Amino acid sequence: MDRRTFFRKGFGASIVVGAALAGRYDNLLSASFTADELPFDLVAVKGGEPDVMLAKGMKALGGIGKFVRKGQKVLVKPNIGWDVSPERAGNTNPKLVTAVIRQCLDAGASEVFVFDHTCDNWQRCYKNSGIESAVKDAGGKIAPAHTEGYYHEASIPWGKSLTKVKEHELLLGTDVFINVPILKSHGGTRLTIAMKNQMGNVWDRGTWHRTDLHQCIADYAGYRKPALNIVDAYYVMKQNGPRGVSVEDVVTMKSLLISTDMVTVDTAAAKLFGIEPADVRHIQLAADQKIGRMDLENLRIERITI
Amino acid sequence: MKRLKRIRIVVAILFFLAITLIFIDINNVVPAGVCLFFGSTQIIPSFMRTLTVLSAASLGFFLVSILTILFGRIYCSTLCPLGILQDIVIRVAKRIDRRRRFKYKKQHYILHYLLFVVTTILAFSGSVILLNLFEPYSNYGRIVTNLLSPLVVAANNAISYLLGAFGYMLIHEIPILNINFITVFASFCILVLVTYLSYKHGRLFCNLLCPAGAYLGLLSRFSFYRIVIDGGNCKECGLCDRVCKAGCINSSSKEIDFAACIGCFNCIDSCPTNGISYQRRWKRNTSESSKADTGRREVLKSSVLPALGLLLPVIGDGKSEDKSKNGYIENRKYPISPPGSLNIERFSSLCTACHLCISNCPTQVLFPSFLEYGITGVFQPRMNYDIGYCNYDCSYCGNICPTGAILPLSYSSKKEVQIGQVQFVRDDCIVVKNEKDCGACSEHCPTKAVYMVPYGEFLMIPETNIDICVGCGACEYVCPAEPNKAIYVKSNKVHQKALKPKTKKAEPIFDSSQEFPF
Repeated sequence: MDRRTFFRKGFGASIVVGAALAGRYDNLLSASFTADELPFDLVAVKGGEPDVMLAKGMKALGGIGKFVRKGQKVLVKPNIGWDVSPERAGNTNPKLVTAVIRQCLDAGASEVFVFDHTCDNWQRCYKNSGIESAVKDAGGKIAPAHTEGYYHEASIPWGKSLTKVKEHELLLGTDVFINVPILKSHGGTRLTIAMKNQMGNVWDRGTWHRTDLHQCIADYAGYRKPALNIVDAYYVMKQNGPRGVSVEDVVTMKSLLISTDMVTVDTAAAKLFGIEPADVRHIQLAADQKIGRMDLENLRIERITI
Repeated sequence: MKRLKRIRIVVAILFFLAITLIFIDINNVVPAGVCLFFGSTQIIPSFMRTLTVLSAASLGFFLVSILTILFGRIYCSTLCPLGILQDIVIRVAKRIDRRRRFKYKKQHYILHYLLFVVTTILAFSGSVILLNLFEPYSNYGRIVTNLLSPLVVAANNAISYLLGAFGYMLIHEIPILNINFITVFASFCILVLVTYLSYKHGRLFCNLLCPAGAYLGLLSRFSFYRIVIDGGNCKECGLCDRVCKAGCINSSSKEIDFAACIGCFNCIDSCPTNGISYQRRWKRNTSESSKADTGRREVLKSSVLPALGLLLPVIGDGKSEDKSKNGYIENRKYPISPPGSLNIERFSSLCTACHLCISNCPTQVLFPSFLEYGITGVFQPRMNYDIGYCNYDCSYCGNICPTGAILPLSYSSKKEVQIGQVQFVRDDCIVVKNEKDCGACSEHCPTKAVYMVPYGEFLMIPETNIDICVGCGACEYVCPAEPNKAIYVKSNKVHQKALKPKTKKAEPIFDSSQEFPF
């Protein structure tokens, strides 16, 4: 279901719901870019602070203006899953979140929203991850996502395991979706990067775990493609992920990966982590389903060292 | 002298609002110290605290006792929220029927003290059932938590929805998870009973059922200041009788049964001739009745005591473990008590079930029990992992518990308390049943007491290390296996020590001096 049908259905079913969404996020449909215009398929940056790496990386890609137009509403989706402090690397680096939001606003975005369907108590996650204050400092808005009321049903007819999801209303009410995951080890899926981060977009994760976790991640990746994926690999949780036990689990890698293709960025991140990308089943599944490309050797990659 | 009533009303409103607020403070806006302060002004919770930890919070019991010896039962009309609630009902009743009046009645001392003695004996032998049924603060707490709080949340959610429709995201929705309809019903019944009694009979609850009322009544027999009828000024008009909510003024005989007086000072306010006043005790004989019933009490004690055995604590009887054929226990043998409660027996013998922890728990994992702790522990909170789990870095409940049933714990010491132990039922696990990856349990485990190991060629399956398990229930809560969860927490009847998780420093993988591996 695309945005238009969603709203038509929304108005048909309940004017209030439609009004709520339209009022809250004032949906603007506008032209978006095509990937061919971009100079690179993947930009990899290392050796700098998160904001510096982002600035260099985005410049190489042609600037955030390629993705965010004046007056658009932007959704930035970091990983805020856990009630842990930034140095534990359980959540996206708040400095990176700030930098992304600033870039969007500088490009003329009318509003920038941030949310995550957290695992631990949402208020504690937002606060202790440092992301709530990072968002506010940058001029963005952090939105709640802790009750089912914020989610709307969508269907994925071609999904192999996942055919129905309940997505957060901000995904339907904003114009540009920027995925800002953190690279981490993961007990269930080996790694969590861009595709896995999208589990925070939806309400019922239990179904994903119950049916076929990797296939569901791939199915959803085929349905919901962010305009941009910015992978935080500044601090990386190497073991005991995704929550981690202590700072002992964390290594400093000072890296950042950017791509419009989740499969590409996940492939590169897995290699950076030292795991064969094909061993992370959802990456392979997504590549097999042509959701994105794993063949880094055939892609245009910009490597930047600071 | 007439100012006394006004002062009483101001203090009463203040305490009533504050205590109501701490019970509807779902977002924990009120600092824990403030919650604890108001909780510890309450005499019975504060007394329980003197039995557990001597701290500033147990001063409440001593201060209120001294206050009563000095001034009579002013506690009942200022600090006690259930008392104020009754006053509100009485005021409304008066509005409905202006001719409503009270009259002098003989107090039910025998029944009241009998109940009090039984309650006390039971409480000291570990069963708080009668205490919890009639303790005023806890009853009020349960009424607010179970009846008012859900309404406040519903109103919040409605406003949040409406504001959202106009484009404002000022307040967010609050889920209501930890509601037990049995306690909702029970609280409703108590509310009806209290309302009915106060509507019909003024402060009868306080002078018939309330254990705090009985105790303070004993003290107020000796109180230094008291209300007396001045023979010279009194014209025997009977106005004071009519406003006395406790029905303890007999203006025709010019006697006041001060043990039943709840210290509202309405009588002084009502007297047109200053014939009734609050003054220092002269040489007056205390009423005869007190002697009579102490004698009778002894007799009653010997005859009633054997029957009380029925109400002694029997925790979690009758339910056998491993009932479910697949291993997952629907009905745990013992409930899981919150961290800081040390052991189930101790917890159940101290908690007056005021539900302050339930209404303030940030993850809403604390849930009102019914018979899980046995009949003597009705309504006491337990951990409910169907609706949430205990946040690893939170020890809020211990910081606000007025009775000390849940002791305050620092974050670091809370992490070393094991309230239960993880149990993994391999055959029910998604990985075994569906041959697919899952790992939700290990994902959520804060200590990696649940960790993943290779299973077959490609899959990972959980394994457990109970030594470092804290029993937080995160694994159980998220386990998606149906119909039986494949992982659950078995209660520790006596809390154990959890070892600190040991992790070795992660080896570096890549640093920025290296070339990218792609």
